[in-house]
Amino acid sequence: MVRPFPFFRAGVRADPDAAQRPILELSGVSKYFQRDLPTLRGVDITVQRGEFVFVTGASGAGKSTLLSLIYRKHTVDEGHIFFCGKDIARLTSRSIPFLRRNLGVVFQDFKVINHWTVFENVAVALEILAMPRRLVRARVAEALERVGLAGRGGETTENLSGGEQQRVAVARAIVTEPALILADEPTGNLDSHLAIDILTLFEEINETGTTVLFATHDHSLIAKRDHRLISIEDGRAVEARRGLSSWPGSGLHALVG
Amino acid sequence: MDWKSAFARARRGLREERRLYLVAVSSLSVAFLCLAVALLFMQNLGEFGQRWGQSNHLSVYLADDAAANDVAQLRVVLEGLTEVEHVERVSSEQARSEFMAQSTMHDDLSSLPADVFPASLEIELANGTPVQRLEGLAQRLGSFRAVAEVETYSSFFERLDSLLRAGRGLAMGLALLVSLCVLAVVGNTIRLAVARRTREIEVMKLCGATDAFVRRPFVLEGAFQGSMSAFLALALLTLAFLLLRDRADGMLTALTGTRLLFLSPLAMVGLLVGGALAGAIGSALSLRRYLVV
Repeated sequence: MVRPFPFFRAGVRADPDAAQRPILELSGVSKYFQRDLPTLRGVDITVQRGEFVFVTGASGAGKSTLLSLIYRKHTVDEGHIFFCGKDIARLTSRSIPFLRRNLGVVFQDFKVINHWTVFENVAVALEILAMPRRLVRARVAEALERVGLAGRGGETTENLSGGEQQRVAVARAIVTEPALILADEPTGNLDSHLAIDILTLFEEINETGTTVLFATHDHSLIAKRDHRLISIEDGRAVEARRGLSSWPGSGLHALVG
Repeated sequence: MDWKSAFARARRGLREERRLYLVAVSSLSVAFLCLAVALLFMQNLGEFGQRWGQSNHLSVYLADDAAANDVAQLRVVLEGLTEVEHVERVSSEQARSEFMAQSTMHDDLSSLPADVFPASLEIELANGTPVQRLEGLAQRLGSFRAVAEVETYSSFFERLDSLLRAGRGLAMGLALLVSLCVLAVVGNTIRLAVARRTREIEVMKLCGATDAFVRRPFVLEGAFQGSMSAFLALALLTLAFLLLRDRADGMLTALTGTRLLFLSPLAMVGLLVGGALAGAIGSALSLRRYLVV
């Protein structure tokens, strides 16, 4: 896995053993937005490098919260989150930008800037890294080609369809070649055909070695693929073996139909 | 620090929000114009205070029965003092005719006899003569047999001084008030611009931008707004000054003997730099709560 940017803050020494550890480990993670009513309670999840993992659960189950703890929008109340062996739950606010440079995050509402061009929307992730202009152009062109938007960098994003806007968001997420991509309901605003297209796109990205955590409540989408599945039920993570054929039951059958 | 990128983003921000910034610069220019007028007022008040703020003049009224010999001796003594620049003797007749020339009630007062106006010695002192020295001199002159009364005009100058101090205080208060207005207007404008660009900030933060990276173009935009507004205000003030100078100068010279002064180069540079600083600070303060993503 290529990870060209320094991990966390400049000056912090890289851990040589980190490459041997799982890319993501959540251990006893709890998050309370209301007292005595945890959104997540004692969540334990381990994600290996290069895995594609579905995170599912009913609306409001805590899928987005789980992802937001990883990209540090929120902080954990209990437990630890290790990303490449480093406990990111304890990062100072000054180190958070350096964590996010190693993550790609994609959202349901795309989070593209409508009055910017496709190129500008993707290039912003590289400009933050103060990358030379020539290299930015080359990397953006490459990312746009990977998401099927080659040659469309000059178009204004607001003129694109929903599926194309989500592709722009995916291109922005992969252009920095992050170690882990967090996709929070990326197909939620798309029809079923476009949803499959976007899922396929994430799978292609995963095939190049990038780990993908894909949160969705779309059961039809999960049913079509044989990826590892983690369900958030009653604030806890329920781990299922690969594939629906070996699904352990206990309510998840009802969930996925 | 990637300032090149920050300048490029600030330029884009100014271009995209040009209508909003145009309105803000217009409002700020008015605020800066008020500030510049207050500074101009302070500067001219200072000049007026320097010219008139202390007495350089003494009037020594001579006794009716003062002997010409005593008066001549007194004049010689006075002219020998270092702080005395000039001594002039004004006779009762001269005093009467000067008064009649200045009076608007010429006909009513024409019957007044000359001895109503006492003869005097009008003394001009050197500039910067301390008040204590002037008071001491007046006291000593009062003990001369030929002197009936000495007028130092101190009560008039005390009143003028307190008036000048009040004027300065008012101008300074106005300057402070305008500075706060500038901060508030810049802050609100940037807040409006930021509110329209929250998605942009959110995306940048999610891509790993530091607070400084996000803040920099907004601070530059604020500084540009502030300095541009100050520049416009100075341009307007210069124009108004050039148009009104001749008329105001004539009036001021007649009333106070001073000429209308424009702001010093230091005050103008201070206004431009202060405008840029106020803009930058206003931006930085208004951005704080949008940086939490």
